[in-house]
Amino acid sequence: MDLDDGRPAAAFFFAGLGVLLLLAGSYWGLFVAPAETYMGDVQRIMYVHVPTAWNTMLAFTFAFGCALAFLFLGGWKWDSRMEAAMEVGVVLAVLVCMQGAIWAKPTWGVWWDWDPRLTTTAVLVFAFAGILALRHFVDDPVRRATWSAVATIVAFVDVPIVYYSVRWWNSLHQMQSTPETVSSAFHWPLRINAFAILFLMIAAISLRSRIAALRLRTELAPPPPAPAPQTGTAAAEATR
Amino acid sequence: MSPTGVIEGGWEFVRAAYGVSAAVLLGYGVTLVLRFRSARARAERARKESS
Repeated sequence: MDLDDGRPAAAFFFAGLGVLLLLAGSYWGLFVAPAETYMGDVQRIMYVHVPTAWNTMLAFTFAFGCALAFLFLGGWKWDSRMEAAMEVGVVLAVLVCMQGAIWAKPTWGVWWDWDPRLTTTAVLVFAFAGILALRHFVDDPVRRATWSAVATIVAFVDVPIVYYSVRWWNSLHQMQSTPETVSSAFHWPLRINAFAILFLMIAAISLRSRIAALRLRTELAPPPPAPAPQTGTAAAEATR
Repeated sequence: MSPTGVIEGGWEFVRAAYGVSAAVLLGYGVTLVLRFRSARARAERARKESS
């Protein structure tokens, strides 16, 4: 069977590396980097919010790639990886909404606004969370993998819409930052935390895909052999 | 916010954002490890039953 349900040593290595980098990047962002001119210390939320947002997009893009691989190449490992990437993407997307709400309150004056970026992100969360929830209602692994791969491809359409929403529509949310628009004093903690969350995401997807693969192995395993029919003497012995 | 439009203070929001991030990432990590152990034990049990 084409499953990656082996030992998760690499996942724990990436998790350890991610935690170390996240501690270093967050320390730099909180205590070493200067406060921003207008937002002051509140801008320090950027060092966790932006890396989380980047990696959310990456997780959903990986789920999209796995969906295409499952449909065109076949192989159960792609279904496990797709499920894992979707779940990790949803967790990161919910986290990015929470971080964004906490940043929005002191800067916009509200926790939430039905602004294009926020609305399309909410759609993204509900679309992928819905696919994950519906997967539990389909018992046949082949049907479940096929329709959820198709649904993932459809839901992925929202990812570029989230990315370009700040350019296409009049949004409260600021445009994407680039090295040209962000002072060099802010680069390092941002980059370190981006790699930290990337490594944590790789660890989480790796471990979660093993959980899905172990469940698939149980589902796809042949049923245990039926007990051999007992002869008359043996049956009489058994009922005695 | 001061009359100049500069946001003053706000460390409580920074602490909240980092605290929520740590709690979500740590909490999800713990559930993953527990679910992996449980899935591995279930698969091992199923393998023994079928053999």
